[in-house]
Amino acid sequence: MNLKDQWRFVKSNMRRSKSRIFMTVLATAMSVAFLIVLASVGFGLHSTFIQDLLEDRTVTKIEIAGLEQDGNVQPITDKEIKEIEAIDEVKAVTRQQNLYQTPNYTLDNYSSQNQTVVAHFPSEIEAGLELTEGRLPEGSHEIVVGHHFLNHLAPTDVEVDDLYDENNVIKEKFQYDENLIGKQIEMEVAQYIEGKEQKESITLTITGIVEPPSKGWMEDQKVYTTEEVLNEIESFTNTPRGEIVMPDQSQPASIPKGYDAVYGFADSMDEINNISEILKEQNYLVYSVADEIKNINLVFTIAKIGLIFIGTIAIIIASIGIYNTMTMAVTERTPDIGIMKAIGAHPKKIKQIFLLESSYIGLIGAVIGTAVAYIISILLNITLPIIIESALEEQLPEGFQFSSIPLSLILISVTICLLVTIVSGLKPAKRATQIDVLKAMRREI
Amino acid sequence: MIEINNIHQTFILGKKQNETHLHVLNDVSLSIKEGEIVAITGKSGSGKSTLLNIIGGFMKPTSGTVHIGNTNVTTFSEGEFADYRLQNIGFIFQNFQLIPSMTAFENIELPLVLKGLNEKERKHITEQTLQKVGLLDYKSHYPSELSGGQQQRISIARTLVMEPPIILADEPTGSLDSETEADILYLIKELNQELGITFLIITHDEEVARVATKQIHIHDGRIVKEETIQ
Ligand SMILES: Nc1ncnc2c1ncn2[C@@H]1O[C@H](COP(=O)(O)OP(=O)(O)O)[C@@H](O)[C@H]1O
Ligand SMILES: [Mg+2]
Repeated sequence: MNLKDQWRFVKSNMRRSKSRIFMTVLATAMSVAFLIVLASVGFGLHSTFIQDLLEDRTVTKIEIAGLEQDGNVQPITDKEIKEIEAIDEVKAVTRQQNLYQTPNYTLDNYSSQNQTVVAHFPSEIEAGLELTEGRLPEGSHEIVVGHHFLNHLAPTDVEVDDLYDENNVIKEKFQYDENLIGKQIEMEVAQYIEGKEQKESITLTITGIVEPPSKGWMEDQKVYTTEEVLNEIESFTNTPRGEIVMPDQSQPASIPKGYDAVYGFADSMDEINNISEILKEQNYLVYSVADEIKNINLVFTIAKIGLIFIGTIAIIIASIGIYNTMTMAVTERTPDIGIMKAIGAHPKKIKQIFLLESSYIGLIGAVIGTAVAYIISILLNITLPIIIESALEEQLPEGFQFSSIPLSLILISVTICLLVTIVSGLKPAKRATQIDVLKAMRREI
Repeated sequence: MIEINNIHQTFILGKKQNETHLHVLNDVSLSIKEGEIVAITGKSGSGKSTLLNIIGGFMKPTSGTVHIGNTNVTTFSEGEFADYRLQNIGFIFQNFQLIPSMTAFENIELPLVLKGLNEKERKHITEQTLQKVGLLDYKSHYPSELSGGQQQRISIARTLVMEPPIILADEPTGSLDSETEADILYLIKELNQELGITFLIITHDEEVARVATKQIHIHDGRIVKEETIQ
């Protein structure tokens, strides 16, 4: 007896009790929709959270803030960098030092003040730094500048009041309109020596422009220079990192030699997680988005399991309906089952027919439930932000998703639904196989 | 072909404290040869149906064995007996036992569906059999739309499609008028002669016993008379 013939029996049986089947399917569909919608909130908030976290941050990067030694945090020095670089999965370690004053840069008649960073260019390249134009510094007095460097380069012979438009951007006619690459630029650093402000000029050559930051609203107008230039500045200011000491200030305590910003790079988020573990063991203070995502994933996974569990209870409640429906179907068909057994239907086949019927109810319920859940999810995502925004008078973050239904959730829900319906149909189906032929046939007399 | 040896059947009635044992069959032994039509007669309650139900596998005897061919069917499980029945034993009941929600065609087709034949084969065999019992024109009728005699013909057709070597019939004409009864008995005789099917028929009507090649009379669960009819 093949599936098609079994299906015929199922169909004819269901036709006989349409409204009962309909109500059972409805209850099942409602419970499946409930499960999916409930869990979809977990999935939606999770993805919103992760998205928020990933905003302009790369998961293949780990910040190494310092090394803890005897309760004190030490900055990272070249010695530690060697150790970190020795870890297998580490692709590159970038290290930057900030200049503790903002030098004035002059290019022909134009000038601006820019934050200045001392970078280690070989490691920056390995970490994936890209230039939009030019090349990286090779000589000691070569620099690259941030993408927005030009925006702040202002002509010195124009009144400041005239310079900017209403958006606080230098008017187009005053902007520097030549190519920066290869241009000589004067860096002017200051220091008070014996109570008087002294200035020192260092001539640098711009060799390249760094690609813009990944987020449009971020600005990079920094100047990236080399260790040699820093040494020159330090020997003029006589302070580490070129810090300015006002006449009435005492000489600053010598800051420990080390880097201000150290980042490790790897090829994947998993590798970053491994690197993070290794570094933490060695008492480094590290932070990575990957770490944070790992923790958040764990929390949300637990939350999702909880929600699916609650939803499953709804399906189990609905399965009582399936149990009831199937029990009635078996009772109603007892004479027919008796006849079929008398002719020679194997109990297994009879069981299969009833299991097929309960699985079918479960499947239809799951399909309808999934469709309904999709509709509810879409409505939730449209209406909820409106309600929340008007109630809290606050804008929700962009890309906010309250409910999300990934394929995995549907597969999980449909599987749970089918399992529960099959289990609830087992006992009625077993009862059908145990029907006594003689008793069943006598009932007809 | 069928060897029945020392069958006892005892039903236990009532509650545990004051149960009574009802000995329905007492040491029944019987041998049936291929191609015979055996009529079992006896008073109501003498144990005829019980004997037939044991042979058909609907109940297990308290003791004793039934061999069909060389197979000891008394040791079969319920599932094994179902499979065996489907291939080897046909049934005809007093009240026809047709499935009311199925048409005549579908009822006759049922054993073939259970056997797993494809639709084309099923249709061919079913229609041929409908023709044989003279009811091809009624194939789309539901049992409730047919007379008693027609229903019994459908029920006979249902057993015939499997071409069983044995057919057991428990008062097949019990709810039919005498004219229809004659028709059905004639059909049984014909099937026996044409197809060589062995019949075991329960009846309490002496008229019916006339189709039989052998008559067995049961009284109080014992065979009291065994007679071959010429
Ligand atoms: N399952 C059963 N449980 C108890 N008693 C039964 C059962 N089946 C039959 N009997 C009893 O066995 C006796 C014989 O019944 P049966 O074989 O049907 O007789 P017959 O067919 O000759 O009229 C009857 O008294 C009947 O009540
Ligand atoms: Mg009887």
